[in-house]
Amino acid sequence: MSAGRGGLSSALQAALGRAAGALVFPLVAIALALAVGAVIVLATGNNPLAAYRALAVGAVGSPAAIGRTLLNATPLIFTGLAVAVAFRAGLFNIGGEGQLYIGAITAAILGVSLGFLGPLAIPVVLLACLLTGFLWGAIPGLLKARFGAHEVITTIMLNFVAINLATYLALKPFRTEGLVPGTDFIDAAARIPTIGLGLGRANYGLFVALVAAAAVYLLLWRTTLGFRLRAVGLSPGAANYAGMSIGTSTVLALAIGGAMAGLGGGVEVMGVYGKMSIPFVSNLGFNGIGVALLGRNHPAGVVLGALLFGGLASGAQELQFETDVPLDLADVLLAIILLLVTATRLVELIFGKRVREMASGTRLDEGLAS
Amino acid sequence: MEELLGGLSPLLASMVRNATPLVFAALGGMFSERSGVVNIGLEGLMLISAFAGVAGAFYSGSAWVGLLFALGAGLGFALIHALMSITFEADQIISGTAINLLALGGTGFLMELVFGRSGTSPRVQGFEPVAIPILSEIPVVGRAFFDQSLLVYLMYAMVPLTYLLVFRTPFGLRLRGTGEAPEAVDTAGVSVARMRYYGVALSGLLAALGGVYLSMGILSAFTEGMTNGRGFIALAALIFGRWNPVGAAGAAFLFGLAQAFIFQAPQDVIPLEFLQMIPYVLTIVVLAGFGGRAVAPAAIGKPYRKE
Repeated sequence: MSAGRGGLSSALQAALGRAAGALVFPLVAIALALAVGAVIVLATGNNPLAAYRALAVGAVGSPAAIGRTLLNATPLIFTGLAVAVAFRAGLFNIGGEGQLYIGAITAAILGVSLGFLGPLAIPVVLLACLLTGFLWGAIPGLLKARFGAHEVITTIMLNFVAINLATYLALKPFRTEGLVPGTDFIDAAARIPTIGLGLGRANYGLFVALVAAAAVYLLLWRTTLGFRLRAVGLSPGAANYAGMSIGTSTVLALAIGGAMAGLGGGVEVMGVYGKMSIPFVSNLGFNGIGVALLGRNHPAGVVLGALLFGGLASGAQELQFETDVPLDLADVLLAIILLLVTATRLVELIFGKRVREMASGTRLDEGLAS
Repeated sequence: MEELLGGLSPLLASMVRNATPLVFAALGGMFSERSGVVNIGLEGLMLISAFAGVAGAFYSGSAWVGLLFALGAGLGFALIHALMSITFEADQIISGTAINLLALGGTGFLMELVFGRSGTSPRVQGFEPVAIPILSEIPVVGRAFFDQSLLVYLMYAMVPLTYLLVFRTPFGLRLRGTGEAPEAVDTAGVSVARMRYYGVALSGLLAALGGVYLSMGILSAFTEGMTNGRGFIALAALIFGRWNPVGAAGAAFLFGLAQAFIFQAPQDVIPLEFLQMIPYVLTIVVLAGFGGRAVAPAAIGKPYRKE
């Protein structure tokens, strides 16, 4: 990045430098993960090049493949945002999984009976998912602000509670007759339509996700509230000294995160499945952690990260079909990426000391119960 | 009275079975956290070891070979966490989360490769209950505590051993020092990184014992995702027990008792889903009640860089 003196203006140069810097950690993590993945594929007796080719074809090789990638990416944008908002406020939200279930069961229950609202059904049900996710997300916030219970453990525990709660609702009071255990199909008025264009089941939920990402960006970087959340995240002591309440920030950040994941659950039910069957999709919440970290907890990065992970997931189906590499390779790659993406020292060894500052926005370095 | 005691013995036995993996994992977490490294990856360490134990027993026909496989897997995965968080200075919570996802995806991947199926593995030779003469004859508690798998007896022994190691040996002193004041340990000429590697490695071995007990002490088969949050409950037990082996084991038994109630409670009165919430809700209540006041090792979570 050494443009001449008379070349780029210094502001643009600085912006480009920052953007390039922001990409160093994710790109190194992805490259190393693919290399490790190649070794794993070799160990299974397959050709890594053929495997990665199948992965790419499965991810973006045809309109149907692109549709699958977009379909997979949509919920990950929401759960990635759920992690990112909290992270910016200095909190680690591992509760996306449960928050997504809460939103999903909300949509599955309300979607059946709110069809009479006609064109208003979709926004009203989505708003309800946003609200239930917000309230569920506020619980670990309150537990931390009020009692000092660390959010890493409480959000994980609340996942199990939420999954059991949603399962109970879908299997007992709201269960429908039928072979597949779960709720009834929601009203057609509450179904989010598919995009078409040969993209298969990809639906307009994707645009809801993009709007959510834009909203999170505006909230965090263009409002006073967002400034407060980030200030508390960067330096709780200084923010507190400046008169900002750490407790309020904690509750709001986790609640807004919960709202994002809840919205994601609603979009899955309204755009993809039309109902909540048990067992419901799993790991979307956990994979959101990888998406957020890879995207450096920035909404634009989250969208890119979700597209990458969505592509990995749809590519893995083709991979399992073409070779005998199990489709779980996608999950393994994702875990390796997550393992590497904050490895400051590793990237430093490769690129030298100056990349150290580029790691900002990806670390909490705060112990349990501290 | 007779009837009451008759129901108590199975409940206590179930408590011991549920507490055992939690005690192992909590003791493991203690070594790691006492050295200054958060180990949120206990869940994954247990899961990969549970799988490796069954795979080892499947290939060899021997439960002991399975145990060796499990210890190797637990140690290997723990060393990945150590390499990332100690040497490469990755965020410890994120590295631990990645270990959990790696174990989850990795066991799914290996289930297909090793057993050619997903879900549950074939049954293998496990660690059957062995009744201890005389002790197992004690009314009510005898059968519950002393007619269990060998791994349970190992767990009983581990609690005092761990206590002695941490609080009564030079190694324990250095380990605790590394978690509280790494600069001081460094100044005294002890390598902070090496002590932390020891701490994380021990956590891998102990979590492996917990994992192998799940898959070979209770069921004799591996099921995907079978740890079901136990690694996190063990972390809560560790915090509740204030990073002390005896306290952590006590807390683990409390959580084990809560899990035991799930199988004893009348399901026609309380829906199963609500019973299943109990251990998780209890964990939250315990953390909210006591977690805030518990004081973690001072240097926990922070990479140490020698200047």
